[in-house]
Amino acid sequence: MDLTYEATSTFAKSFGLIYLIVLSVGITAYAFWPSLGKRFDKAAKSLLDDEDGPCR
Amino acid sequence: MFRMLLKPFARFFEVHAKAHYRAERHSMALTAGIILAASVGGFIEIAPLFTIDETVESAPDMRLYTPLEQAGRDIYIREGCYLCHSQMIRTLQDEVDRYGPYSLAVESQYDHPMLWGSKRTGPDLARVGEKYSDDWQVRHLVDPRALVPESVMPQYAFLLAAPLETESLPGRLAALRTVGVPYTDDQIANAAVDAGGQAVPDTEPADGVAERYGEETNIRLFDGRRERLTEMDALVAYLQILGGLTDLPAETQPPRGD
Amino acid sequence: MMTRLMATERQGALILSGLVALAGLILAAAGRGDPMGVHGWITLVFAGGVLLIALRALDAPEPTEDRLASYYDDPTKVGILLALFWAVVGMGMGVWVAAQLAWPELRFDAPWSSFGRLRPVHTSGVIFGFGGNALIATSFHVMQRTSRARLAGHLSPWFVLLGFNLFCLVAASGYLMGVTQSKEYAEPEWYADIWLVIVWVVYFVLYMRTLARRNEPHIYVANWYYLAFILVVAMLHIVNNLAVPASFGAAKSYSAFAGVQDAMTQWWYGHNAVAFFLTAGFLGMLYYFLPKRAERPIYSYRLSILSFWGIVFFYIWAGSHHLHYTALPQWVQTLGMTFSVMLLVPSWASAGNALMTLNGAWHKVRDDATLRFMMLAAVFYGLSTFEGSFMAVRAVNSLSHYTDWTVGHVHAGAMGWVALISFGSIYAVVPLLWRKEAMYSWKLVESHFWLALAGTVIYVFAMWNSGITQGLMWRTYTESGTLAYSFTETLVAMRPYYIARVIGGALFLAGAVIGAYNVYMTIRVAGHQAPQIDYPTGSEANEPAVPAAE
Repeated sequence: MDLTYEATSTFAKSFGLIYLIVLSVGITAYAFWPSLGKRFDKAAKSLLDDEDGPCR
Repeated sequence: MFRMLLKPFARFFEVHAKAHYRAERHSMALTAGIILAASVGGFIEIAPLFTIDETVESAPDMRLYTPLEQAGRDIYIREGCYLCHSQMIRTLQDEVDRYGPYSLAVESQYDHPMLWGSKRTGPDLARVGEKYSDDWQVRHLVDPRALVPESVMPQYAFLLAAPLETESLPGRLAALRTVGVPYTDDQIANAAVDAGGQAVPDTEPADGVAERYGEETNIRLFDGRRERLTEMDALVAYLQILGGLTDLPAETQPPRGD
Repeated sequence: MMTRLMATERQGALILSGLVALAGLILAAAGRGDPMGVHGWITLVFAGGVLLIALRALDAPEPTEDRLASYYDDPTKVGILLALFWAVVGMGMGVWVAAQLAWPELRFDAPWSSFGRLRPVHTSGVIFGFGGNALIATSFHVMQRTSRARLAGHLSPWFVLLGFNLFCLVAASGYLMGVTQSKEYAEPEWYADIWLVIVWVVYFVLYMRTLARRNEPHIYVANWYYLAFILVVAMLHIVNNLAVPASFGAAKSYSAFAGVQDAMTQWWYGHNAVAFFLTAGFLGMLYYFLPKRAERPIYSYRLSILSFWGIVFFYIWAGSHHLHYTALPQWVQTLGMTFSVMLLVPSWASAGNALMTLNGAWHKVRDDATLRFMMLAAVFYGLSTFEGSFMAVRAVNSLSHYTDWTVGHVHAGAMGWVALISFGSIYAVVPLLWRKEAMYSWKLVESHFWLALAGTVIYVFAMWNSGITQGLMWRTYTESGTLAYSFTETLVAMRPYYIARVIGGALFLAGAVIGAYNVYMTIRVAGHQAPQIDYPTGSEANEPAVPAAE
């Protein structure tokens, strides 16, 4: 394939969109994956876990 | 229901959850994700611009900066002039009316780096060349408020006293050739002499400049003095060529007739 | 500073600083008669100072306690002090250059004291000096606490911190001598850029190695932001600074890119420096210190993940909105505009997440100025990201671009968001690090807060007014179809706003000075507190655990 401006910019415009959609679906799935919820909660709370030591 | 649907894919995430102490794997995956997410976008957006040559206007009459003009450009950068003066006339009617034909991509084709700017505390300078006389430019740089009382521009009187360093010019032109500016061997070899020659009209070095850079080149005293080559010479020579590297914008955008 | 290092580590420090000093000497020799030579001497003196400290401590007794049972906070402490030093320097420079635009005679006559040379000292001083040091220091703190593990290494944190400050020093002194690449926020020349790459690689390795020791199964989201900051800044820095030096004996170099490609590369860098230096890193700060101070977990952890990836994806495309109506191809401009508008979603998700975290703890916000700093930072983050998306729209940009509106927008973000979250985090962490009961004076924290708020509001309103006024004056036509105002006339109209800006900036600077004084007094005189339990542990267990990846 010749690397013309036409070709690269068309690729940018089409592939860019697909890339974005695929990634957003993946991320949303990860963030809302039911079984991961507990880990997320734990991570958020462990920050404040005072008996384990850290801050304040 | 939702959980049922997702079940077959659960494996992908469970792998991570189980490998609690395979800690590196998590952080490497995160690293890879960030790099992927952040690089692809930029690549897709920028890469096509490097093939742009074929669609951008071509200007056969496009000339190069002479060594003196390039030295002036380097002073313009050194003093941070680009922080208050843009060199990019946008495709808006009021800008075209105020500053002249809008800027074309080809005009900054050889500008390493570009100086389009991001702020106009002072006016745009893309077409300031030959708008004022050399004498006006020198006096204005020495004391801006003597000519424009409302101006907030810093004065640059010290440029008039600073001798221009020319020894490094061949090296600078050679570096510019490395990044794509088509200077010839002859131009590079004579860069230091040509820098001085451009500011002393009607001499042998001046003829050399005209020969190497074309008869159109501005060969003048610039700072008004023949005996010394100063940073003022260089900066004024640069300012006077702004917008004058090619005639294409004026040819393709005839003045608005009322 | 050296007492917690083993003898081998002290020798390592000696060798490293010796090597840097040698590099300085080479630079000084190669660059004789050029500003690069001066930079060589600066490097030599800087590395020589570190070398002396290491030399004097060479025979001091080694630490006896089990080092792995505690966090390593010495680099964090020094980093915070350096951040405050640069804050005062950088903001002071800002007030001076702002004053030059109102009273040009303050330029004086020296070559180094013009607006063009001082302005990058201001921008680099606050962004890299203040912001960068605050980020490095807090990242050391946060990565240890959230991983419940000690820093992976005792020499590398010092190398990162001091190496970065050497870079800042070389950058700032270079601007005064006229050493600049002209690329905004990437002005330092090739040798400083190479040095920063080395420092940054060490930073990344340190971060990864510390994460690898963690005693928590999950990497807390604040670390994601810090990691994105480190990684993407490295990428941006390397690409945008590609250049060919005119000679290896001089500072001057020429960008590998020209014209339209250079413009796109520069603003891809410039905008993502905002995204990954001034946003991602500071969001890491926010996601740790705000929940911690409010003593409430982040409102929605899932939302923080979503907005993280949103920010990483969207920002990278947005740079071309700096080049609307220029010679850049139109489709690239449209792409930049679209992504800039979409960026509002993850940005507001982050700001909203922070504010919702405070929901139910408003009495703390009322009583605790430190938490109020963080709350206000989140509000300004929301405001300035909205403004940013708005200004990225082509029609709005045609008015706002090249005017003070842009300057006002940047400062709403830099003062309102970046500086406030940094000060809030510093006030939260200083008593803890120095084992004090509280800050020296809560009243001073309170007055810093109000000075910062007043300064930001005055500054931003002044710039909105002047920017919009100037933008409108530029495009006003008379009835006969000619331009109504000369450029000089718009300049005259700006003057009152430029004076107001100086006042706003000076108030903000005064706040920073008070903050620095308060921190100094906290270290010197505030009451001691018995060390709390503050050591690395497994999250499940109460006793200190040996880090897993040892």
